Amino acid sequence: MRFHPRPANGNVNVPKTHPLAEMAWLAGGLFVIIAVVYLLLTLLTGWVVTALPVEAEVWIGEKILQNDPGMPCEPLQKRLDQLVACLPQNSSLRHYPFSVRVIDSKYVNAIALPGGTIVVFSGLLKEVESENELSMILAHELGHYAHRDHLKRLGKGLIFGAASWLIFKDGSQPLLMPFAEIMEARYSQAQEERADLWGLDLLNKRYGHVGGSQAFFSRLLEKGDRGKFAHLLASHPHPGKRIENLVRAAQKKGYPMGEVQPVEDDIKAFLKRYCNIKQS
Amino acid sequence: MSEFLLQNLNFILPFFLLILGYSAGSIAEKRHYRSIERREQKFLALPAVTLKDVQDNEKTSGQLVIGNAVISIDYFKRALAILRNIFGGRVASYESLVDRARREAILRMKEEAAKAGAHIIVNMRIETSAIGQSANRKKQIGSVEAIAYGTALIKQA
Amino acid sequence: MIVTNVENIPGKAIVEHYGIVQGSTVRAKHIGRDFMAGLKNLVGGELKGYTELLSEAREEALRRMIEQARQMGANAVVNVRFATSSVAQGAAELFAYGTAVRVE
Repeated sequence: MRFHPRPANGNVNVPKTHPLAEMAWLAGGLFVIIAVVYLLLTLLTGWVVTALPVEAEVWIGEKILQNDPGMPCEPLQKRLDQLVACLPQNSSLRHYPFSVRVIDSKYVNAIALPGGTIVVFSGLLKEVESENELSMILAHELGHYAHRDHLKRLGKGLIFGAASWLIFKDGSQPLLMPFAEIMEARYSQAQEERADLWGLDLLNKRYGHVGGSQAFFSRLLEKGDRGKFAHLLASHPHPGKRIENLVRAAQKKGYPMGEVQPVEDDIKAFLKRYCNIKQS
Repeated sequence: MSEFLLQNLNFILPFFLLILGYSAGSIAEKRHYRSIERREQKFLALPAVTLKDVQDNEKTSGQLVIGNAVISIDYFKRALAILRNIFGGRVASYESLVDRARREAILRMKEEAAKAGAHIIVNMRIETSAIGQSANRKKQIGSVEAIAYGTALIKQA
Repeated sequence: MIVTNVENIPGKAIVEHYGIVQGSTVRAKHIGRDFMAGLKNLVGGELKGYTELLSEAREEALRRMIEQARQMGANAVVNVRFATSSVAQGAAELFAYGTAVRVE
């Protein structure tokens, strides 16, 4: 047989679709699906979690925290009890065995743990300049309990982790993390704002006015915050935005401003005695 | 701004790697295809067939010739493959990869045959396999290897 | 287009040959199939989803090979061989190659 060289024109084996177009299509589709699943999951955990009785949450809290973190703080406990006393009699929050613990650390933060333990870092205690500010911070944490925010986060994290483990058994989760984190950050910011507003209501009940509610955030702003851009994906909203929300809510509900009371000595004594922080 | 980058590194880094993978990968692929087409033109006169007997009634001697090539994937192709794994369908990023590997392997086999002075390669076979897949459990795909082998027939004077 | 996997077509003579032609395709499964296969792993039996997937891919690879042969001007492809390999987690490559010839 003769041989006749014939080149093949074109390439049947490689498709003509542009890879960037394909990537945009697939990634976009995936993002839409994840967003939908996430929203459904949020609604679901919201319903389930609000049905969980406080006693069950306390039990979970005990199991998670083997030992109590930090050290007990009598002065803070006193102020917390005074705040709780301002709540209506039938409030579900009255079922919580609230306790405040202090961890000696430079962090300026406070955390609400499942079960009713509030942890305050001594860095935060050092920063507050009035009784009202301190009460606002404690009231904000109580707001998280009122909305069961910590439970919602826990539940959603568990279910999302389990679902992605089931579907992607071999660890392509890292590709999904960025998607999930963006949405988690926005959701968390909304939770923080709601806790702020709830705390504002309680502050008004406690003192009869809302002086001192924004002072803390104003000082954060002055100390040179990183700018609105950095807060786009942070878990807390930008301090400027928080101040705006508080001012607007106070105006709408007709809460008056008032004189703030300076921090009482028992806090300063506690810091001096238990925390290695120089009092400025 | 730099703090924003540092904080969200685990989101920005893959994005950056994707851009890097896509640009470097497509440049390498275009260059490779140009080289392949040029060499295929050159070797148009040296056929490789899967037949055993071409009935040309010549006195010839035979010699085994082999060509192989291992082509690596890039980050962009891997990301596309993972997305395809979710939705199913044709993995276009991989088709170009195996195509290149195979054509390169055949060309290298033809080069070896040409050096021996052959005029045809008979009973050619091609094998493809994935290298690096089971070598490291965490990373899923490493590279594709193609090997082409056949018998080169050299005319005896 | 005649396609065989023997060296010559019975009853016809090969007049010219044009070199090899190859067709390949890479297909990935999607999550639904994976899930069903996972369940099947418990009870056993044929994985119909995967069988369908691979035979569709094989058809596609054959089609591409024949297309390439037609571009060369051949009217038959002889000595066709198939190869399957997995090139990625969850994706398989189907490959068909043969010699493009003209028969009379």
